[in-house]
Amino acid sequence: MLLEVHDLHVEFGTRDGVAHAVNGVSYRVDAGETLAVLGESGSGKSVTAQAVMGILDTPPGRITGGRVLFQGRDLLRLKEEERRRVRGAEMAMIFQDSLSALNPVLTVGDQLGEMFTVHRGMSRRDARLRAVELMDRVRIPAAAQRVGDYPHQFSGGMRQRIMIAMALALEPALVIADEPTTALDVTVQAQVMDLLAELQREYRMGLVLITHDLGVVADVADRIAVMYAGRIVETAPVHDLYKAPAHPYTRGLLDSIPRLDLKGRELYAIQGMPPSLTRVPPGCAFHPRCPLARDVCRTDVPPLQAVQGPGAEEGERASACHFWRECLHG
Amino acid sequence: MAEPILEVSGLVKHYPLTRGVLFKKQVGSVRAVDGVDFVLAAGETLGIVGESGCGKSTVARMLCHLERPTAGAIRFKGQDITQLSGKALKAVRRNIQMVFQDPYTSLNPRMTVGDIVQEPFEIHPEAAPKSDRRRRVQELLEVVGLNPEHVNRYPHQFSGGQRQRIGIARGLALRPEVIVADEPVSALDVSVQAQVVNLMERLQDEFGLSYVFIAHDLSIVRHISDRVAVMYLGRIVETGSDAGIYDHPTHPYTQALLSAVPVPDPAAREHRERIILTGDVPSPADIPSGCRFRTRCWKAQERCTREVPLLAVPERFRDAAGPVAHDSACHFAEERRVLPPDEPPGPHGLVTA
Amino acid sequence: MPEQPQQPEGAIAGTGAGGAMDLAASEATALERGPGGYGGRGGQDKPRSLWSDAWRDLRRSPVFLASSVVILFLVVISVWPSLITSGNPLQCDLAKAQDGSQPGHPFGFDGQGCDVYTRTVYGARASVTVGVCATLGVALLGSVLGGLAGFFGGAWDGFLSRMTDIFFAIPVVLGGLVLLSVVTSNTVWPVIGFMVLLGWPQIARIARGSVITARQNDYVQAARSLGASPARILLRHIAPNAVAPVIVVATIALGTYIALEATLSYLGVGLKPPSVSWGIDISAASPYVRNAPHALLWPSGALAITVLAFIMLGDAVRDALDPKLR
Repeated sequence: MLLEVHDLHVEFGTRDGVAHAVNGVSYRVDAGETLAVLGESGSGKSVTAQAVMGILDTPPGRITGGRVLFQGRDLLRLKEEERRRVRGAEMAMIFQDSLSALNPVLTVGDQLGEMFTVHRGMSRRDARLRAVELMDRVRIPAAAQRVGDYPHQFSGGMRQRIMIAMALALEPALVIADEPTTALDVTVQAQVMDLLAELQREYRMGLVLITHDLGVVADVADRIAVMYAGRIVETAPVHDLYKAPAHPYTRGLLDSIPRLDLKGRELYAIQGMPPSLTRVPPGCAFHPRCPLARDVCRTDVPPLQAVQGPGAEEGERASACHFWRECLHG
Repeated sequence: MAEPILEVSGLVKHYPLTRGVLFKKQVGSVRAVDGVDFVLAAGETLGIVGESGCGKSTVARMLCHLERPTAGAIRFKGQDITQLSGKALKAVRRNIQMVFQDPYTSLNPRMTVGDIVQEPFEIHPEAAPKSDRRRRVQELLEVVGLNPEHVNRYPHQFSGGQRQRIGIARGLALRPEVIVADEPVSALDVSVQAQVVNLMERLQDEFGLSYVFIAHDLSIVRHISDRVAVMYLGRIVETGSDAGIYDHPTHPYTQALLSAVPVPDPAAREHRERIILTGDVPSPADIPSGCRFRTRCWKAQERCTREVPLLAVPERFRDAAGPVAHDSACHFAEERRVLPPDEPPGPHGLVTA
Repeated sequence: MPEQPQQPEGAIAGTGAGGAMDLAASEATALERGPGGYGGRGGQDKPRSLWSDAWRDLRRSPVFLASSVVILFLVVISVWPSLITSGNPLQCDLAKAQDGSQPGHPFGFDGQGCDVYTRTVYGARASVTVGVCATLGVALLGSVLGGLAGFFGGAWDGFLSRMTDIFFAIPVVLGGLVLLSVVTSNTVWPVIGFMVLLGWPQIARIARGSVITARQNDYVQAARSLGASPARILLRHIAPNAVAPVIVVATIALGTYIALEATLSYLGVGLKPPSVSWGIDISAASPYVRNAPHALLWPSGALAITVLAFIMLGDAVRDALDPKLR
C-alpha cells in the first residue's frame, strides 16, 4: 500500500459559516496504480489532494480529523520540516495552471535544477545537466538550448511538460495530478496525457488523477473514486463503473454524455445543482437531485458499503447509496 | 436548405503588431481570422470547433459587431451589416445576440437580475412599452427555468448554471433570430452542462432560433449541431453535416482532433486509433505558407508548402454520394474513420426523473 | 518548486463580489456560491452586494471603528470648535509666552503666549478642509480624466499617460515651494489647488487601470452587443465596477494631503499667519523646543493622529472592498 487516506475531514471558515469541504474521505493507491478522483467543482477533490500533499492553506482551511498514511507513516503527524522532505522527493504534485505554478522570474533550468541542489545536494553544474536530461525525457525539442528560457517563452503544452518533469525529477513514489490537462487544447491534451501515463509505467509511480472529465478517466485510470459534496459516493475499477454504475450520481453523469443514438433528443440531465458546502443537505447529500430518493435518504447518511455485482469479486466496489442494488440493476 | 439567414464571406480580422511608444510602427499582423466563409440557414445550428487561438471567438465577436472585420462581408438576410452604424446598426443588433462563455464575468455584479434582463428593453425602448417590461422580464426568467420572484437578487447569489440561464434570458429579450453562443457550457459543472444544452435546444424549437454554436467540446457540438465547421489558424479547414465531419472526416486535422478527444468508454482504450500530433499550433502572427496545417501534418508534401488548399469538395469525392462528399481544404483528402462506432444503448437509461 | 499553490491572477477589487471565486482552494468556489441552498431555489438571504458585504466587514473591523471615531470627532470640532473650547486662537498674551499648563489652559502657551489647546482645536479646521477638498478635487479630476482615457484609449490615452509621467516627476515639496511662494492669498484654496494639480495623476492612473479591467468584462461586451451607447456603458456598467480602487486610494491619500498641508505651512508657503494651522504652529514652536516642548508636542501629536486615522481608514476600506488583498 503506497497511500492510504483514512476518514479525512477538512473544513473552511467562510463568511457564510463553516464549509465542510471534505467529510470523511477514504481512499488508497498502490504503487504503479492510477486512481482517478472524479468530481465537480466543490466536491472536495482538490482540497483532499492539498491536504494529502500538505499544501492546504491554513487558515482558512482546517484538517479536523483522519489519517494520511504514506508508506506506513501518518503524514498528518509529521513535523512541518519532515513533511517538507517528503514533499517533492517522495510525493509530488502537478497543477492545472502551469503558468502560475512556475516561477516567472527563474529560467526553467534553474527551477528544475533546484530540485537537485536542494534535495540531493548536487552542484549547480550537475543539476543543470540533469535538468537538460529531464527536459529531454519529457520530449521538449532542443532541450539543451531551451534550458535557459523562462516559463512564458514556452507554450502551454510545453510548460505542462516542464511541470511534469519537475514533479518526476526526484522519482517520487506518488504523483498527484490536479486537472493536469484541463487548460490545454484537445490535441495537446492527448500528448501530455500519453506522456504522463508512459512515465508512470516506467517509474511504477502511484498516480492520483484529479479531474472532472469522464473521457480522460476512461482513457487512463485503473480505479475511480467519485466524489460529491465532500464525500466519496462510489469507488470501482474503471471498466465496471462505466459498465454498471452503482450510484445514481455516477449514473447521471454517464447518462448526460451526449451520444449519437440520442441526437435530436433531450440529453439526460441531473436536476438542480451541486450543493453549497456550507449547507450540505441532511442525509444523503445527493437526495435533492436523485431520482431514486426516498424518505430514508433525507435523514440517514448512507455509508460507503461494499457492492456485489459485476466486477465486485475482489471486494473493490463500494457505493454510498441506500439503493445501490436498484441503481446497479437499473 | 432553408433560406439563409446569415451569410459570411471572406471574413478577415488582422490585428496590427506595433512597436514604439510615440511613433507607432507596424511590424506585422496577427491574422486571427484569415478568410472565413459560411452560411447559416434559418432554424439551423452551425457548430464551430477548433482549438484555442483558431479564431472561432473572433468570428463570434465579429458576427455580433463587437469587432469590425478587416475585410469581408456578413450578410443578415441579404444586408451587409459590417459597414452599418448608428440607427441601422442598432436595429440589426436586435436580431443577433450573444451568449457568453463565462457566467461569472458576463453579468454585471452591481445590477440585479431584473435590471440585467430588462436592460435590452431600456436600450431598445420600442421593443416593449414601459409598463409591460417587468412582466416581460418575469416571463423570460420563467422561460429559462428560473424563479421569476428572484428579480431582485444579484448574480453572485446564483450558481454558474443559473447565471448562464440569466445570460440566455438577456440574449432572448429582444426576440433575436440568430444567437451566437461562444462556449456557452464549457465553464459549467459537468452535471449542469446537459441542462443548459437542453434549454438551448428547447428555446430553438420554441422561438425558431438559428444558432452559431462555438465550442471545443466535440461531443456537445455533435449533439446540438446540424452542420459543423472545423477551424484551424483562422480558417475553416473542413465543413459538412455532423455525420460527414464525425463519421467521414477527410481533413487530417479533423481526424487528429477527433482521435484525440478522450472517449468516455474504457473499453475503447485498447482498440482505439489515436493520431498524436507533434508540436504546437504555429503563431497566428507567423502563418506557414501554403497549407497552414502542413507543419504538423503527417501527409505534408512539397505541394503543401506552395499551394493553399481551397475549401471545396475534394475531387475524389465529387461524385460520391452521402456525407463523405463535403468541403475539405486538403490536397490529399481521404476518408479515415477515427471515432469508435457508437455502441448500442448501454444498460444505462435511468431516465425516471 | 512544484508545491507552490496556485495564485489567483489579476486580483482586482473592481470585479467585486464575483471575486468570491478564488478562495483558498480553486474548488472552494462552491463554498461561497451564495444561497440557493441545496434545494435549488430556496434561500432566504437578503440581497448582498459588494457594498453591503463591505459594510458588514467594516462594522466588525476595530481599525475602522477606531479611525472613524477619531475622524468623526475631528470633523465635528473643525465645524464647531467652540464646542470644546471657549478661547480665541488669535487672542494671545505675550506675558504668558511659553508657560506650561495651568487651570483653563491644559496644554500651556506657545511662544506668542497663545493658548496651545485652543490653537490645536482650531487647527483641525484647516487640516480637515484641505484634506477633504483636495481629495475630492483629486478624485473627481483624476477619475474623470483617467476613466475617459481608459475607456476610449487611443491618442488621448497616450497623451494622458505621458502627462501623468511628467507630473509624477515633479518633486512635491519643491513644486510647492516654487509655485506657492508666488501666491499672496491667505486662504486654503491655493494650497488645495496645488494639491489637486499634483495629485490627480495618481488617481488617474488607478482609474484608468480599473476602467480598462472593467471594460474587458463580458457584461460590457454584452451591453455593446445590445447596442448600448458609450455613455450608458460607462455610467451603468463600468463606473460602478471601477470605483472601488479609486475610493481606497483616495481615502489613504487624504491622510497624506493633511500631512502635506502641514509640511507646506511649516515651510512658510502653505497657510500663513494669522491663519491657524498645525503646520504653522509646529513651525512657530520649533525654535523654542527646548524651553517649551509642549507647544510643539500638541499640534504634532494632533497631526500624527489625524494622518494615522485617515490612513487606517483607507486600509480598512481597502480590506473590505477587496477581500483578495488580505
